[in-house]
Amino acid sequence: MPLEAKLETELGAPKLSVAQQSGSFAGTRAFRPLTPRRLLLICLMLLAVLFVAVVIALRMGTYPISIREIVLTLFDGAIGRRAEIPSDYWLVVFGLRLPRIALGILVGAALSTAGAGYQALLRNPLADPYVLGVSSGAAVGAIISLIVVPRLPGAIQIAAFMGAVATISVVYFLGRRGGQLDSATLLLAGIVTASFLSAVIMFLMTTLSGRDLRGMSFWLMGDLATPPSVNMGWLYFLLAIGVGTIFGAAADLNLILTGEQEARHLGVNVKRVKLVVYVAASVLTGLAVSVSGAIGFLGLLVPHVMRMMFGTDYRVLIPASAIGGAILIVLADTLARTVVAPTELPVGAMTAIAGAPLFIYLMRRRVR
Amino acid sequence: MKRSGAIFAAFIVAVAAYAGTACCAPERFANTAQGSAARMGADRVVIDGTGRRIAIPAAIDRVVSLAPNLTETVYALGLGDKLVGDTNECDKPLAAKQKPHVGEPVDPNLEAIVALRPDLVLATAINRMETVDALTRLGIPVYTTDPQTVLQMLQSVLGLADAMGVHEQGAKLVAQLRARLDSIHARLADRPLQHVLFVIWDDPLITIGQNTFIEDALRWAGAESVVLSRQKWPQLSMEEVLRLQPEYILYAAHEEQSPLTLEDLRGRPVWRDLDAVEMGHVVNVSEEALRPSPGLVDVIENLARELHPNAFGSQIGN
Repeated sequence: MPLEAKLETELGAPKLSVAQQSGSFAGTRAFRPLTPRRLLLICLMLLAVLFVAVVIALRMGTYPISIREIVLTLFDGAIGRRAEIPSDYWLVVFGLRLPRIALGILVGAALSTAGAGYQALLRNPLADPYVLGVSSGAAVGAIISLIVVPRLPGAIQIAAFMGAVATISVVYFLGRRGGQLDSATLLLAGIVTASFLSAVIMFLMTTLSGRDLRGMSFWLMGDLATPPSVNMGWLYFLLAIGVGTIFGAAADLNLILTGEQEARHLGVNVKRVKLVVYVAASVLTGLAVSVSGAIGFLGLLVPHVMRMMFGTDYRVLIPASAIGGAILIVLADTLARTVVAPTELPVGAMTAIAGAPLFIYLMRRRVR
Repeated sequence: MKRSGAIFAAFIVAVAAYAGTACCAPERFANTAQGSAARMGADRVVIDGTGRRIAIPAAIDRVVSLAPNLTETVYALGLGDKLVGDTNECDKPLAAKQKPHVGEPVDPNLEAIVALRPDLVLATAINRMETVDALTRLGIPVYTTDPQTVLQMLQSVLGLADAMGVHEQGAKLVAQLRARLDSIHARLADRPLQHVLFVIWDDPLITIGQNTFIEDALRWAGAESVVLSRQKWPQLSMEEVLRLQPEYILYAAHEEQSPLTLEDLRGRPVWRDLDAVEMGHVVNVSEEALRPSPGLVDVIENLARELHPNAFGSQIGN
C-alpha cells in the first residue's frame, strides 16, 4: 500500500476504480450498515417523491383541469363510472397524460437501472446505457423497419428491440477476453460498434426521405409524446424482470467492485454475475430505446445522483436509481411539454437541464 | 438481504400492477370512444388521401389543421371560420396566424388538439405517422393527404372539400385551378423546357429530386430540374452545380431566412461564376412553392411568366 501511494504521487494521476472513487462520493454513509428497514425507508421516500411528481405531471398541461377534477376523474375512472366523466377530461387524463407518465416511468426506471449496471460492469463512472451501442443498434433496426415495412404498427418497436439484441450479442462476443467479459475490452468493443452503427445510421438517413426521416430524427433524440401501440403491461413485466435481475446481483456487484480477484475468493461467480448484469442492463436499455428513442443523460446522471445521496451500496443504488430515474423523467417531461406550450421540447434536453444542476449541487456539496 | 429483496420485489410488482392497469385503460377506452363517436353521429365513412377509411361526423364544424398547406386549402375553400386551430408554421392567409396554435407540424401538442374539440383533424406528409396514429387511438378522426404531383394536389383539395362537406365549393375551386393550369400549358406547349436549379436550402445545398411535387410544378411552369436524383431532397456539391450549369437558379424564400438574392450570390465564390448568376437569372419563387396547396398554381403562373416572358408577351398586366 505505501508503494502504491508512492507510485500514485509520483505518477501524478491516481488511478481510481469506480469503487474507490464512488466510495469517496458517499462519505460516511457508506459505512452505515444496510438494513431492510433502511432500504424500505429510502424506497418509500422516493416513491412518495415520485407520487408528487406524478400528481404535478397530471395537473400540468395545455388543457386546463384542476386537481379536484383530476381526482374526480381518476376516482370515477377507477371504479368504472365512465359515464360520469366529461369526455374531454377522460381523453386528457386517461388518453394522454397517464399513458405518457406511465411510459416515462418505464423508460426512466429502465435507463437509470441500466446506467447503474453498466457503471459497475465497466468499472467506469462515465458509462451510460448507450456507451455499448445498444441505442445505435436499436436505431438501425428502426430505420430498417421504416424502409422495409413503413406502415406496420408496432414494427418499429420490435425491429428496434431486435437491433438492440443483435448489437448486444455482437458486442458480447467482441468484448470477451479469456472466456469472460473484460471491462476494458467490452468498453472498447462497445464504443467501436457504436461508432460503426452511428455511421450506418447516417448513411441510411441520407437515403431515407420525407416523412420517414422526420420521424427518425425525433426517434434519435428521444420522445415520449406518442406512446407506442404496444401493450404497456408487457413492457412493465420486462422492466420488473430486468430491474429485479440486477437487484438480485447487487450484493455480488458490491464485492466485484472491490476487486474481481477478491470477489472470486469470497465465492462470487464473477463470470456469471457479469454476464447476467450485462444482459439485463442491455435488455433494459433496448426496451427503453425501442419505445421512446434514445433519451439522453438520464442513465448517466441518475445513478451518480443516487450514489451521492444514498451511498455506493448497489443493493440501495439499484432500486433508488430505478425510482429516481422515473422521478426525473416525469418532471423533465412535464417541463418539456409545458414551458413553451403548445410547442414540445425534446425530453432528453430537459432531463439534462433539470438533472445537471442537481448533479453539480450534490458534487460541490461533497467536495466542500 | 433475502427479506429486503422480497420487499423490493413486492414494490416492483405493485408499481407494475398499478401502472399496468393505469395504462391499459386507454387501449380499451380508445375502442369505446370510437364506438361512442360512431353512436353520436359519425354517420359517414370517407377514404382519405392515403387510402385509410375514417369515420367522421356528418357535419364538420370544428377543424384543426396540422400543416400550412392544409390551412391554406381550408381558407381557399371558404371554411376559415371552421378552422379552430392550426400550427405555428401556418402563416397564410394572415388570419391563420390568429388561430390558436397546437405546436409544430412535426410534433404537435396532442392535448392542445383535444382541448380544441375538433370534429376532424387534417394531416399531411410533413406530419409524423405517430401523431396520426395517436390521434386516431384517441378517437379523433384524422384525414391525411399526401399529394405527390400538382394534379394529385387538386385531387386532395377535392377530397378535403368532400370530407368537410363542401363538395360544391371544392369542385368549383378545382375547376378554376385546372383551367388556369390548362391555359399555361397551352401557352408553353411548344416551348423548350428551361433547365433550372431549385434551391431548397443553400448551405448545405439541398435541391429537389424527381418524384416531388415541386419537380412536377416546375414542368407545369415550363422548366426542368437539372438534378436527376431518385432521392427526394438530395444534397448537392458546388462542383456538381458548376458542371450542370443551370439556366436559372430558383429559390423559395423563407420569412426568417435571409433571401438568397442575386447580389448575395454575386459575392459568393463559385456561385458568382455560374452562367445563371452572371446573366442575372436568379428567381425568388414564393415560399408557396414548397406547399402543395391551391397557392401552388399562383407560383406556377408567376414562374412561367418569369421563365418564358415571350409566351406571355402580350398578356403582361392581365
